[in-house]
Amino acid sequence: MAHFHIQDLTFSYPGAADAALKDVTLSIQPGEYLLVCGKSGSGKTTLLRHLKTVLTPHGQRTGSITLDGTPLEQLPPRDQAARIGFVMQNPDDQIVTDKVWHELAFGLENLGCDQSTMRLRVAEMASFFGIQDWFHREVAELSGGQKQLLNLASIMAMQPEVLILDEPTSQLDPIAAADFLNTLKKINRELGTTIVITEHRTEDVFPAADRVVIMENGRVTALGQPREVAEQLYREKSQMFPALPAPVRVFYEAAQEGACPLTVREGRSWLSRCFPQAPAIPALPPEPPFPAGKVAALELKEGWFRYEKNGPDVLRGVTLTVPQGSFFAVVGGNGTGKSTMLKAICGICKLYRGHVRLFGKDLGSYRGKLYEGCLSMLPQDPKCLFVKQTLQADLEEMGASPEKIREAAQLCQVETLLSAHPADLSGGETQRAALAKVLLSEPRLLLLDEPTKGLDSFFKQSFAEILKNLCRRGTTVVMVSHDVEFCAEYTDLVGMFFDGQMLTTDTPRRFFGSNSFYTTAANRMSRHLFENAVTAADVVTLLRQNREGSL
Amino acid sequence: MRKSTLFSLLAIFVLIPLTLFLGTQVKGRWYYLISTLVIVELMLPFFFRFEARRPQARELVILTVMAALAAVSRVVFAFSPYLKTITGIIMITGIAFGPEAGFLTGAVAAFASNFFFSQGPWTPWQMFAYGFGGFLAGLIFHNHRSWAKPWILAPFGFFTILLLVGPLLDSCTVFTVLSKFTAKNVLAVYAAGIGYNATHGIGAALTLLFVSRPLLQKLDRLQTKYGILEL
Amino acid sequence: MRRDAFSGCHPAVNFLFFVGAIGFGATIQHPAYCAAGCIAAAVYYLLLKGRKGFKMLGGMAVLFLLMSALNPLLNRSGKHVLFTWFGNPYTLEALYYGMALGSILVVMLLWFGCYSEVLTSDKFTALFGRVIPALSLVLVMVLRMIPAFTRKARQILLARRAIGKGASQTGKLTEKAKDGASVLSALTDWALEGSIITADSMRSRGYGTGRRTNFQIFRMTARDYFLLALILALEIAVILLGGTGASFTPRLKIDPIGWGLAVYCLLLWIPTLLQIKEVIAWRISISKI
Repeated sequence: MAHFHIQDLTFSYPGAADAALKDVTLSIQPGEYLLVCGKSGSGKTTLLRHLKTVLTPHGQRTGSITLDGTPLEQLPPRDQAARIGFVMQNPDDQIVTDKVWHELAFGLENLGCDQSTMRLRVAEMASFFGIQDWFHREVAELSGGQKQLLNLASIMAMQPEVLILDEPTSQLDPIAAADFLNTLKKINRELGTTIVITEHRTEDVFPAADRVVIMENGRVTALGQPREVAEQLYREKSQMFPALPAPVRVFYEAAQEGACPLTVREGRSWLSRCFPQAPAIPALPPEPPFPAGKVAALELKEGWFRYEKNGPDVLRGVTLTVPQGSFFAVVGGNGTGKSTMLKAICGICKLYRGHVRLFGKDLGSYRGKLYEGCLSMLPQDPKCLFVKQTLQADLEEMGASPEKIREAAQLCQVETLLSAHPADLSGGETQRAALAKVLLSEPRLLLLDEPTKGLDSFFKQSFAEILKNLCRRGTTVVMVSHDVEFCAEYTDLVGMFFDGQMLTTDTPRRFFGSNSFYTTAANRMSRHLFENAVTAADVVTLLRQNREGSL
Repeated sequence: MRKSTLFSLLAIFVLIPLTLFLGTQVKGRWYYLISTLVIVELMLPFFFRFEARRPQARELVILTVMAALAAVSRVVFAFSPYLKTITGIIMITGIAFGPEAGFLTGAVAAFASNFFFSQGPWTPWQMFAYGFGGFLAGLIFHNHRSWAKPWILAPFGFFTILLLVGPLLDSCTVFTVLSKFTAKNVLAVYAAGIGYNATHGIGAALTLLFVSRPLLQKLDRLQTKYGILEL
Repeated sequence: MRRDAFSGCHPAVNFLFFVGAIGFGATIQHPAYCAAGCIAAAVYYLLLKGRKGFKMLGGMAVLFLLMSALNPLLNRSGKHVLFTWFGNPYTLEALYYGMALGSILVVMLLWFGCYSEVLTSDKFTALFGRVIPALSLVLVMVLRMIPAFTRKARQILLARRAIGKGASQTGKLTEKAKDGASVLSALTDWALEGSIITADSMRSRGYGTGRRTNFQIFRMTARDYFLLALILALEIAVILLGGTGASFTPRLKIDPIGWGLAVYCLLLWIPTLLQIKEVIAWRISISKI
């Protein structure tokens, strides 16, 4: 018998013309790992929230949801709390208490467990999740990844049968995200907990899932095992297809022979089978070097910085040159000082040795005029930039003329959102609106701190187009990012940051082509055959060229 | 009679006289100890009522957020470290959610922020004084929201602090430093506090002048959007 | 924070001790008791704070001198006139009284300083979680939010600086105030939005579905029971033995020193003695290895 059964569920928010969910019918088996995919606004969050009564939004609803045959709304709240666990997107706001141990026990306290049960469960969970080292810590001291793991652990302490996760890794860096998803897989395999997850980082989840649901405009448009769904998406030329993992995309766009590979490992062996002998054309022509120009937009020489007098150095002689008009990406691990470098460039962190030159002039010589037409930064959390009641008012705060505002809004595709409250925008809209605000100071150098965090692949694409457009108009863009796929696809130059210094800088193909670990999935999958294929499109091109060459 | 009401009546009409009576029996300086106990007992009814209501998650969270905002608000006015904005935010909470919520927010904000500095003999007095500020603002303006204009609130905040909240805080000093309670001595202590209370009052007045309108709008929007009830 | 033996005891032990130490410290004005209180509190304060504690003690010394010297100006009764100022007597009794008051204040401040170090928020909620469950949950939540909000406020200020907005720019006071207000309003938006998620997370984990229990991370051990009984006994003994009376003006009248003082000292030295005992135990166990 199905665990969860959703029958003909239709739902619309109060006042909304269009239904958010339309005739959704879905059975979820016990112990299943179910991935729900869809663009933002496709109704996946709404669907997930229907699986737990206290989180179900208000609105018009028809259809039924049952858990083990019992209608969900007839299941007492206490049972639901214990049996259905729900992890949300934001790691911070879900945490209730100030201490790790207390957070772990919070759910158990609510269920009225006795001391000895609580002690045992808390101890079990701390051990299972490897939390014992930070068991007594303050929540405020934890990293984002640790916080999200704590959220998961404190829900698992209640021993739920079903675990529902709504984009749990969107706010995490790739390493923390992979760690989280591995833990999830372990929970599913070792404890048999049913998992329903939405996620746009499909690379890890898509191969791990037993079944995949694709949602579009509130409807379930595909449902089945990952390979079946991938095939259907390709056949229907679905908008969801580009969101699939690189091996899947390469397989369908290039060859379609044999079984579709889902992981990098499967992709490698599939490519090996395609090429019994070494390919005749092993490399794409490398990009031409980016024209350096006379005066660099940004020149950072031997920069040293630390936050406290006796603290460790965060920047340790960082040297960086960014040519005018380029889209420059700085990649590297967490906590290596990338964001600090951005702060040093815009003068918030003062270097104690070394200097920063912007368009040939020393940073200090700009004085108060630095932010008027020279540079501007889009912070990691774009919401930080909004202080007014409407987006329009926020843009006006920058003191630009109405024409300029209209132009910026148009460029960033937010014209229709001007009267909205900034808090009501979706993740991708917020990002674009913030960019519009930043652009109103007409910076020649634009700094971006992790701009793709939490964006799905569609928003990323439109965001990249805006940035490319800016570069074409002569703006220089420096971006700090974890997102290697994004950097490989769209940037002109990529530099590696490590231990307070910039290491190599090169064009994406050269840069990722020479890395073996810190590189894109397409490159990892093809590097044993191709020298410099860094995107799925690169691999497809090389595959085609070789095939045509052998004919 | 509800249990919480019973407890409240018990606290006010039995506990406080009993404390005062015991105070006179103590050999030595009973002033600080007894006055502080009375202050704590005055707060008990508020606490009991809140507990007895078994507040729902949203009520609890709103109260918490407002108390934390009050405690943190000073950071955003970094240009002036003397500007004390905590009381202004507490008063706004009182206006938006009523006198009891104002009181609790004040008491919690004072108690919690002392965890980041240091608890001291002043802790209960601060809790009561800040709570009282929120209570009074709620009492006057919660049911007369049309009165809650920035230019009315600002002088209200200033004088409430200068004349009531500040002197309440100074009372703690009176009970700890004076050896002889003559009218002159007591007035001297209160007079010494006027300067400090005035800056405190200006901080609150500025907060109410500039922040009360947008904050009240937001809290109202929240109340309608999520149907959060009277606290 | 340093490792301290008394801080490792059950919160109930800590609390009962501070009730006694602060309660007696605030009420007893007998000079010998005051002196004993000052010494014990100062020693334990230094033990907790280390070298940083000396600064506070210096401040306390100044406070003590100030209180002593000022009291005769407000309280003019007493027989032994030291000198007169503007025709007012400055008496020895009032000076003594001032010294007593000064030391009472110093004792209170020092014990409260120790209390802050020892009775952390988690111990407080462990003690009162059953009596005021909702409020202690509120407290725990506020303590999580305060650092988070502070960090967010700084983030907003920084983000605004990097687009050329905000208080760092020169401007009039009203403009700065307005800017501060808009940052506060953004912070409020962010906080209220987060609060909805927090509330969802609480309800999703069963808050408000029925009877709630309190997870106790602190356990009473045999030593805690012993200390609890000891502290209680000593505190009752101080009250029963008496001998704490003292009045200064108009005439000095001070109870003779009796056993009560010894009991009082023993009570106040418990935290320090525990620490000494632990240090010695460590030395011995290390020498055995």
